[in-house]
Amino acid sequence: MPILREIDRLLRGEATSAESLRGGHIDIQTRTLVQAAVGLGAIYGAFMGMYAAFGETLNFGQLFASMIKVPLLFLLTLVVTFPSLYVFSALANTRLAPRDTLRLLTASIAVTLTLLASFGPVTGFFTFSTNSYEFILLLNVLFFGVSGIAGLIFLKRCLDSLFRPPEPPKPEEPMPSASEQKESDEGEEPEVIVVPPGVQAYPRPQPPRESPYATIRRNAEAERARTIFRIWTVIYGAVGAQMGWILRPFIGSPELPFQIFREGRDSNFFEAVLRTLGELMQ
Amino acid sequence: MSFPWTNADALLRTRGRFGIHDERVPWSSLIVLTVLGGALYGFTMGSFSTVALLFGQETRDPPLRIFVAIFSATKVPLLLALSTSVCLPSFFVLNTLLGLRDDFSSAMRAILAAQGTLAIVLASLSPVTLFFYCCTERYSVASITNGVVFFLATLGAQVIMRRYYRPLIVKDGRHRLALTAWLMLYVFVAMQAAWMFRPFIGDPNLSVQFVRLDEWGICYVKIWEAISRFFTGR
Repeated sequence: MPILREIDRLLRGEATSAESLRGGHIDIQTRTLVQAAVGLGAIYGAFMGMYAAFGETLNFGQLFASMIKVPLLFLLTLVVTFPSLYVFSALANTRLAPRDTLRLLTASIAVTLTLLASFGPVTGFFTFSTNSYEFILLLNVLFFGVSGIAGLIFLKRCLDSLFRPPEPPKPEEPMPSASEQKESDEGEEPEVIVVPPGVQAYPRPQPPRESPYATIRRNAEAERARTIFRIWTVIYGAVGAQMGWILRPFIGSPELPFQIFREGRDSNFFEAVLRTLGELMQ
Repeated sequence: MSFPWTNADALLRTRGRFGIHDERVPWSSLIVLTVLGGALYGFTMGSFSTVALLFGQETRDPPLRIFVAIFSATKVPLLLALSTSVCLPSFFVLNTLLGLRDDFSSAMRAILAAQGTLAIVLASLSPVTLFFYCCTERYSVASITNGVVFFLATLGAQVIMRRYYRPLIVKDGRHRLALTAWLMLYVFVAMQAAWMFRPFIGDPNLSVQFVRLDEWGICYVKIWEAISRFFTGR
């Protein structure tokens, strides 16, 4: 299948080679990446929804809802955050045009969802092995966390390649020293000028040193890549966490009835985390 | 005349007519960007009660709620324009006193570019604000969201301001003093201007007004009163 072939190229790093990234290009279509993200997200969503579908509640609605919600979680977050993510990358003077920024971010989502979909059979296996909602919840949190980190590593690597200035030209092979030359010339007529061993016959040409300006520039570029990565992670992470919160339930607690969305608009991921932490401290 | 989008991109990357070493001040483009960006974010900022209404929440004066968004769309560019124009005369005199008059057009470019960037970053964060409005019924959450958004936009504006000021500071160290003075004066004035132009978000339980004339005053006095009340308990 062409989409899977393209994703395979992405995972192998062929679509994001250092040369093409340095030119500001990603060699894969956004449409292909979105289609892959939808398909792969739906696959994991199906495995995630199995707990409600084949557990005590026999709720197939949750399975279909999760199949839609998992890709929606990543793609809707991108829709909401893309303008600001692009503005911050332009502020840092990346070589990425809007279309390439979108490709890079969608590629990162596709990498995350590919790994997540590959965890699907494991989730499915454990779903059939246990009735414990807490265990399945933690397992899913773990898989989402690991996949998210993989996506972030991919993004970070791409950003580093994007910002890395072209390498300085490699120094030529140094001239051989007198002793080395003597060894290689064994058996031939001796040279007229005898140079004591350990002393170089000719001054060894020094490799061209990087100028202090180039070093400063290299460090500044690396710092810029880090700054963009941090800002992107904070904005995408904050919106993504809240998006996940309002799109819940994904697994479907056996104690609660099936709902497409949980009731009550006025709830917040960050508050819920703080409240839980507060309860733990008491 | 190129599209505002193309101009916004060039400004963020300080290229083309927004190049750091370009002598001219692209007045019209910077003003258009500031007004458009500010208006777009203002509309989003003021749509809190409209979003609440759409989700079936009870609000005061339901048919008039959209006017909060329209008023805010006017007030955000006004806030930026007023704060800048009130501080400019002092900045001009200070630059002259410091012997930096010859570089004033470059300093002016830095200031206008920072305003434009602030407006662009605000506009780009509009979907994020709107999304958080959809997730809450509480005014406090809306205020915090806007606080974070304005903080990020100020950071963006600072990046551009410093990029423009770097060659000036290299040329003459006194530009650093002028820049610090501008920032302090601008923050001092902009906070009061923002207080005067309230409401921007629009509490759904309060009436729709362009400005809260009955609660006019100096924001610093109000802050001092609030601190005194906190410590004295009165």
